[in-house]
Amino acid sequence: MLDDRHHPTSSIGIAAKPLVLRAIAVAGLAAVIASAALAAATGHAVLHATLMCWIVLSYVLSGVLAWWHRPDSRIGALMILAGFATFLATLSWAGGQVPHAIGQAFDLVPVALILHVFLAYPTGRLRGRLERVLLTVGYTAAIGAQLAVMLLGGLGPGQVLTMTDEAAWAGVLHDVELVVISGVAIGGVVVLATRRRAEGQPLRRSLSLLIDSFALGFIMIAFLLLAGVFEGRPFPVVQAVALAALGLAPIAFVAGLLTARLARTAVGDLLLALRAPPVDLREPLARALRDPSLTIAYWLPQFGSWADQDGRPVVLPPDDGRSAVTLIGTGVEPMAALVHDPALNDEPELLDAVRAAAWIALENGRLRAEQRAHLDELRGSRARVIEAGQKERQRLERDLHDGAQQRLVALSLDLGLLESRLDTDSAARPVLAQAKREIALSLDELRDLARGLHPAVLSAHGLDVALESLAARAAVPVRLMVDVGGRLAEQVEVAAYYVVCESLANVAKHAQATAAIVDVVRKDGCVVVEVVDDGIGGADTERGTGLRGLADRVEALDGRLRVWTPLRAGTRVRAEIPCG
Amino acid sequence: MRVAIAEDSVLLREGLARLIGDAGFEVVARCGDADELRDAMRAPLPDVAIVDIRLPPTHSDEGLRAALDIRAGHPTVGVLVLSQYVELGLAMRLLADSAEGVGYLLKDRISDVPDFIGALRRVAAGGSAIDPVIVSTLLSKRRDGDPLARLTPREREVLELMAAGNSNQGIADRLVITLRAVEKYVSSIFDKLGIPSSGSDSRRVLAVLLYLRS
Repeated sequence: MLDDRHHPTSSIGIAAKPLVLRAIAVAGLAAVIASAALAAATGHAVLHATLMCWIVLSYVLSGVLAWWHRPDSRIGALMILAGFATFLATLSWAGGQVPHAIGQAFDLVPVALILHVFLAYPTGRLRGRLERVLLTVGYTAAIGAQLAVMLLGGLGPGQVLTMTDEAAWAGVLHDVELVVISGVAIGGVVVLATRRRAEGQPLRRSLSLLIDSFALGFIMIAFLLLAGVFEGRPFPVVQAVALAALGLAPIAFVAGLLTARLARTAVGDLLLALRAPPVDLREPLARALRDPSLTIAYWLPQFGSWADQDGRPVVLPPDDGRSAVTLIGTGVEPMAALVHDPALNDEPELLDAVRAAAWIALENGRLRAEQRAHLDELRGSRARVIEAGQKERQRLERDLHDGAQQRLVALSLDLGLLESRLDTDSAARPVLAQAKREIALSLDELRDLARGLHPAVLSAHGLDVALESLAARAAVPVRLMVDVGGRLAEQVEVAAYYVVCESLANVAKHAQATAAIVDVVRKDGCVVVEVVDDGIGGADTERGTGLRGLADRVEALDGRLRVWTPLRAGTRVRAEIPCG
Repeated sequence: MRVAIAEDSVLLREGLARLIGDAGFEVVARCGDADELRDAMRAPLPDVAIVDIRLPPTHSDEGLRAALDIRAGHPTVGVLVLSQYVELGLAMRLLADSAEGVGYLLKDRISDVPDFIGALRRVAAGGSAIDPVIVSTLLSKRRDGDPLARLTPREREVLELMAAGNSNQGIADRLVITLRAVEKYVSSIFDKLGIPSSGSDSRRVLAVLLYLRS
């Protein structure tokens, strides 16, 4: 299977055995119980303790769930890390110097880790440089600066990590650290907001909104940290809300992952729908992927281009965040491409499942598109051949008109002048008269020849005038109705003209008709030409009637020619020629 | 009589001018395209303009449009359109609702000098000259139960000459019969076809063409 060139399917995740995941879950529960016991033993504020325990629990368990269902995503591991880091931070409640110091050292690490989770959701990987820089700064401040503060003797007297007693400097450094982390938190929220705006995901919008609202918890955290630095007093309500928001976020994350899981049943439906492969694959695929914007393009190697299901060339959109392209194919060559919402890149398994389910149907779709492209090409080349012939005939007609015909007319004019200057009884008169008759005959023949080559009146004066003359020359009376509203494309006019011309010729030759009706109207973007006679019918549409050539002409323009010719019930020729 | 000629072939244009000059007319304008012809339509106006239907630059409908413009803008100027083909559709556009002062002939007709000069004179004087090919094409259809089938051969001849724009006297001269006889044929034809026989020579041209076309 050819992997998506634009968004390679992740395979860097760490596969975890069920046993390991279970162990992690158990460890998470143990951690929560330990924290709760610690809080109870030290008389820690109940609300704060509960919220912290909740964060440990929700991140660890959601992380395990995520890792379980999305082994190719690092998000699960990240969430577990965030959960345990929070647990370690609760150790600061302890009275013992070492656990207290560990707790203090980890005090701000959860903020950085949880921000990491938000920014890396759902793949577990960061998307841009800005995000990496933000988190690097965040981790450096939360771990490095915090340790430095502690080494300098900050965070309370008798602190176990104290190397030198520079409490004043430690206090300054700690304030800087808090300000930096606040900045990182706000920066992270800005990145998230910008990303949502740029992507405008139509799928699971409500879930995205939920996640966004949890991200507001970071603003509160930043506020709390800054308030701690500049005001020196706590805001317990804000703190509780911030912790609750960040603690609820994993539920939204897991809900997102479960939605992806539900989508797999849609793949089952897709398989059912493809049992009798529909002509339009787009609709069932769009349903299975829950992406109404989905389009399918097929790769046509012989044309070296992408095409839609009708074989018309299409261009794949650029990878600009508004749409994403997933290629499907074997070996080195793609077969088809799904152009979809970039949000679907978050669900590589769904894409894989759909790709596997639709493989054969897509292959068929590609063959069909290729066939249509060939047909189009054939039609195009037929149209070109006919048009080239038409142009050549037009040129010949023009040459005849401006050359031989003009010269013969000038010659007969000279003869006429000569004749008028001769004596009435000159012996040359009969010779001159004979010459004039010969020239008149030649001109007649040339006129017929030229008209057969190309109806000059058609290109000069349009269909209605040309058809009026055609009807006048017909062998039987013709009732003519032309209503096309002005001039049409030349090849359309020529085709319509020849439909009438050949049909009336057939009426004269074969139909034994007494009258004919010619009706030419413009309807629904088509010129509809109908020639009906009251003759004997039963025309042989394959031989001697020129109908085959007419059909070629009409079909080359994407039109349709039909002939009804029942015995003893007249003949009806109907052509529909698209005219834009 | 003053004549303007619009014809892009120099050979033909000069030949026509010579022929017309020989006949005692004055050629007041020799135009190579439709714009030159329009420029020639200023006082003193010519009596008649001879217009090739295919004129530069595109050789499509420039000549016809110039002819229609003159008919609309200068009703006193007769317009004689010449063409390598005669088409009923174009004749009907040219005539529109009146055959007065209009002619439409095959170019070949200029070789029959007296006939051509006669047609030119008729058109200049407000009459008409329609190429016989048009009428004979219309008459050549197979028709069942058609009033035309009841015409005698002589009456058909008279009908053709009449539709071409000839006056009764012209028909009499052509067929070498008396004016009285022509009048008898004409009223018989109108009776048989059910066309009201009133009006000028040009009115009956239009009436006959419309009858034959329908």
